[in-house]
Amino acid sequence: MANGPDAQPGLVPWRLVIELQHVTKLYPASGRPALDDVSTEIDKGEFVFLIGSSGSGKSTFLRLLLKEDDPTSGTVSVNGKALNTMSKWQVPKLRRTMGCVFQDFRLLRNRTVAQNVAFALEVINKPHRTIKRVVPEVLEMVGLEGKANRLPGELSGGEQQRVAIARAFVNRPLVLLADEPTGNLDPETSEGIMLLLERINRTGTTVIMATHDYHIVDSMRRRVIELNGGVLTRDQSRGVYGVGR
Amino acid sequence: MRVNFVLSEVATGLRRNLTMTVAMILTTAISLGLMGTGLLIAGMISEMKEIYYDKVQVSIFLADGVTDEQRQAIQSELEASPEVAGFIYESREEAYERFRQQFSQQPELVENTPPDALPESFRVELVNPERYEIIAAEFPNGEAGVDQVRDEGQFLDRLFSLLNGARNATIAVAVVQALAALLLISNTIQLAAFNRRNETNIMRLVGASRWYTQLPFILEAAIAGLIGGLLAAGGLILTKVLFIDRTLAGPIKAGIIPPVEWDAIIWNSVVVSGVGVALAGIAAYVTLRLYVRL
Repeated sequence: MANGPDAQPGLVPWRLVIELQHVTKLYPASGRPALDDVSTEIDKGEFVFLIGSSGSGKSTFLRLLLKEDDPTSGTVSVNGKALNTMSKWQVPKLRRTMGCVFQDFRLLRNRTVAQNVAFALEVINKPHRTIKRVVPEVLEMVGLEGKANRLPGELSGGEQQRVAIARAFVNRPLVLLADEPTGNLDPETSEGIMLLLERINRTGTTVIMATHDYHIVDSMRRRVIELNGGVLTRDQSRGVYGVGR
Repeated sequence: MRVNFVLSEVATGLRRNLTMTVAMILTTAISLGLMGTGLLIAGMISEMKEIYYDKVQVSIFLADGVTDEQRQAIQSELEASPEVAGFIYESREEAYERFRQQFSQQPELVENTPPDALPESFRVELVNPERYEIIAAEFPNGEAGVDQVRDEGQFLDRLFSLLNGARNATIAVAVVQALAALLLISNTIQLAAFNRRNETNIMRLVGASRWYTQLPFILEAAIAGLIGGLLAAGGLILTKVLFIDRTLAGPIKAGIIPPVEWDAIIWNSVVVSGVGVALAGIAAYVTLRLYVRL
């Protein structure tokens, strides 16, 4: 186990971005584990679909990666660091290496597009100069140049999701976690969002996307991890959504 | 730390919950004002104790027709008594002079008092002020030129128990008010955190430090605490200008009540403001730890 969770990045050339070893998560209120002995590895630069029905454990999977929750047993490692031994004050540092996108966008309604993106940098103390430079860059990348001063309420759903993606990506995270990012969008708009996520993936950012949308999964032919009642039932490179659909 | 960002968050927070903020500031101000008053009374009490207790514990007033021998006998007896730490003799003239000084603010009273109206006396300091009875027994009232033996300490004890009571009552009300203020601060902070949950959720996700996320709330409470403290300080200043320096001017000049100096007011103002800031900040911090996920 040269690449164990305690190995120091820098000493070993680190390819593995995410590693779960026998991860089980029990919530006190429920008798059935949300995740049941899940083990998997995700390399740097991979694009992974996390699929499964509602309640299959997709969101728990993502929450554990962000250390919003700790597993009941097993270990989760991100970028070579074991999260269960990570102290509380190190968690913000972990989260700076990850971007998050959600189904409901989670934009600040009273801030403009540019301010929403800048907010993510301001609160982690990035210098003003950097913010002024990178915000327009990332807005251009997501296709929102010229809309920097709009409020979220003036944008379409697809455009709002682009703002959210810009905010998640502006700090150049190692991993982008997307929880049903196309859940609220029509198929054409979704396609645009997927193109954008692919583009981000090509920059070397690992993308993990939880989704129900089998059209997208089937057309992209990327790695598929399927959870079923908390159990990892399928892990397939270049997979499709469901067998026998 | 981005000072502008934090300050604008604080300003928005205070404005958004204006009514709660005002309630929080007012209860804090009342509580701190009472606390400051309690401290002032406590300071006055200890100064008064110094003024009175040190001077006189027992007064032996002499009868009008006291003879020189009787006076001499009393003096010898006091000198010989192991209970007596020291004493002074005060003649009628001296007593009148002291009276005139004490009541210089009430000239009518002085005018209407003939110079010989006040008795001569021995002012006795006891080794142990509690043992007044022994002296009283040695000099029975109405005998051997003694008119009356009076335990000044007993009067002072009553006066001071009254003042102590006033101080304790003030501080008790201050504590109850402080409790109300703390609960209001806690509620306001919970409300503020709820209002700003979108911002704080995003801050958490993008990796803002805990400190960065919490500081605006803590500052919000601390600023409200500071404003409360400053209002209380204003109240103390008004108390000095309008009440102590006016209504109590007479007794203070007469030396019955010690004056309240400006440095006591300033010191107490600093203390209550500091307590206001610290209590509000700590209350906010604890609230965030207990009730709010940041």
